[in-house]
Amino acid sequence: MCRRFYWCILWFAVFLSTQAQAEEFKFDPSEVEKKPYHLGGYLELKPSVSHTDKEASLYKLRFYDRSDEETLKQISGTAQLEGSLEKGIARLFARANFELDHSYLGWSDQGKLYEGYMALKPSDLFNLALGKQTMKWGKGYAWNPVAFVDRPKNPDEPDLNLEGFYMASANLIKSFDGPLKTISFTPVVIPAYGDINDDFGEPDKLNFAAKLYLLYYDTDIDFMLLAKGSKSPRYGFDFSRNLFTNLEIHGEFAWLPDSKKTMLEPTGKTLQEESDEASYLLGLRYLSTLDTTYIFEYYHNGTGYSEAEGEEFFSFIGRGYEDYISGRGDAALKKAQSLSEGGYGRPNFMKDYLYLRVSQKEPFNILYFTPALTWILNLEDKSFTLSPEILYTGITNLELRAKGSVLVGDDFSEYGEKQNDYRLELRVRYYF
Amino acid sequence: MKALFSLLAVLLCAAPAYAIDGKQLLEQVDRNLAPESYELYRKLINIEPDGRKKEFVLYTVKKGKDKIAGLFIAPASEKGRSTLRLGDNMWLYIPNVGKPIRITSLQSVIGGVFNNSDILQLDYSEEYDVAKVEDLGKEYLLQLKARTKTVAYDQLKMWVDKKNVSPTKIECLTEASMLIKTIYFKDIKDFGDGLVRPASVETDSPLYKGYKSVMLFANFKKKEVADEVFTLTFMPNIDSVR
Repeated sequence: MCRRFYWCILWFAVFLSTQAQAEEFKFDPSEVEKKPYHLGGYLELKPSVSHTDKEASLYKLRFYDRSDEETLKQISGTAQLEGSLEKGIARLFARANFELDHSYLGWSDQGKLYEGYMALKPSDLFNLALGKQTMKWGKGYAWNPVAFVDRPKNPDEPDLNLEGFYMASANLIKSFDGPLKTISFTPVVIPAYGDINDDFGEPDKLNFAAKLYLLYYDTDIDFMLLAKGSKSPRYGFDFSRNLFTNLEIHGEFAWLPDSKKTMLEPTGKTLQEESDEASYLLGLRYLSTLDTTYIFEYYHNGTGYSEAEGEEFFSFIGRGYEDYISGRGDAALKKAQSLSEGGYGRPNFMKDYLYLRVSQKEPFNILYFTPALTWILNLEDKSFTLSPEILYTGITNLELRAKGSVLVGDDFSEYGEKQNDYRLELRVRYYF
Repeated sequence: MKALFSLLAVLLCAAPAYAIDGKQLLEQVDRNLAPESYELYRKLINIEPDGRKKEFVLYTVKKGKDKIAGLFIAPASEKGRSTLRLGDNMWLYIPNVGKPIRITSLQSVIGGVFNNSDILQLDYSEEYDVAKVEDLGKEYLLQLKARTKTVAYDQLKMWVDKKNVSPTKIECLTEASMLIKTIYFKDIKDFGDGLVRPASVETDSPLYKGYKSVMLFANFKKKEVADEVFTLTFMPNIDSVR
């Protein structure tokens, strides 16, 4: 009797354990049922602290009429929401970004529709979309000189979503057997009237752009153009190809005839210069046997400023600051502020840059843990920023990232004149 | 002398008739594992030594010998992430980044033991030559050698059940014969339409001691879609195929 009892317990334990295992590895087909709608996005909290450089030009420009700050504390909360609705060949999609920020300037908030369009897909060979969209042209990781119809991305955060422009676009795709495997054509129409795309360029213009994509002999090739309209015309191409199983090469070239650039003269006057320029990028992505990924890019910004022109801008701020503390008013600083909101204030506003990002997948077998180091060097003035970071994604739908940035450079150099010496930030992002 | 030549001729002709045709066997394994063109859903579970799990759900559509695309539909942090393989070319599309980027077969898209090649697996007979076949009684042992350097694992040792002509275990090795991972095929299931194959695949790796990965299969069926689905331009729209 006793032995039978123990056998029963043993059998029950085995049964329970197999049941538990069966439950552990369950895959119910209802989990993959497709719904006609989708709601999702993420919530993000990003506290940061920066140590200021009080001798730097951009510190003086921002703080000349404020109290001195040794450290700047900032906390920002972001909600990025997206939703879609599908019915037959039609799909509605919207992505909106809401930010609440507290910094030395006090509280601020901002809400923007990043994308919002209706797409029709009558067949797998053809689709069209109407509304606010991003195109994201180009193969570069940190910079995209051929992204003619997108806002410039921030090389410090190249993976972030961007706000789009209102446009009509289409895709025509055809596949083949042979060396030319794919061809696709993307025409784009961008209106700039009234409030619609008022920051795209000159108003009251209808802009036409197009991209032709080819997969030819295992190489991705794109040709793109933006016809003259709100902006001067632009022509470009890009390519990407795996040279070896662990080495990819990519490049972009943009020809920019009649490019306009605001120039600051030593007298403080500004003038518009028009010239034919070329911007280009060459990059490599390499995966080592130790699972280290290297992304390396060289970028020439044809419409950027030379070292001397950059120095002129920083000197102008210095002279304006001297004027201000000598009681001669802040007119020059106000002018410098306005220039810093234009070409002189763009991320990487000078001519030649190098970018290197080294990331290590799961070192010491720590799953979902990725440390990385990013280095951006201004080749002309040799100033640079170095940003170590650690990313952990081990908890479902939660992403934790800690990032630091050190800015190094001489007087009158790009990174030497930034308002901060270093910055530390934590980013907690929850996807739903 | 004449007799010797006759004997040699007989032996040369007779030998192939008795040898196991490794190529044919591997092609049979491929067809028993999946039709040439199909769609399926997989749940990928990474299990850590302390029992913690992370799950991913992936939709896959394949056409012919060299076209395959995958789309993550769960968890929320990975939703919309898609991968495409066209022969030796592989791309990854991340919705936030908004454009496809070229990747290599060894890069991991989700972390853990799985890499791109596991997620975008083509037919074994497309990527490997059979170097040797051994008859082990109830099983065959196939030693496979990658045809090109673009394949994630240079060598495979595949144990094939004679009855089902289906793999029971695969060891993935480097060129220097270092074991990278072992894949165990379990739970033979009838998916309908003549497809009877393992419904779960477990993986462990000496590189990740104590960690285990499980892949479960569901809604596995034949499906034909347009070639244009397997293009870079189509990647943001793969969800419309399912």
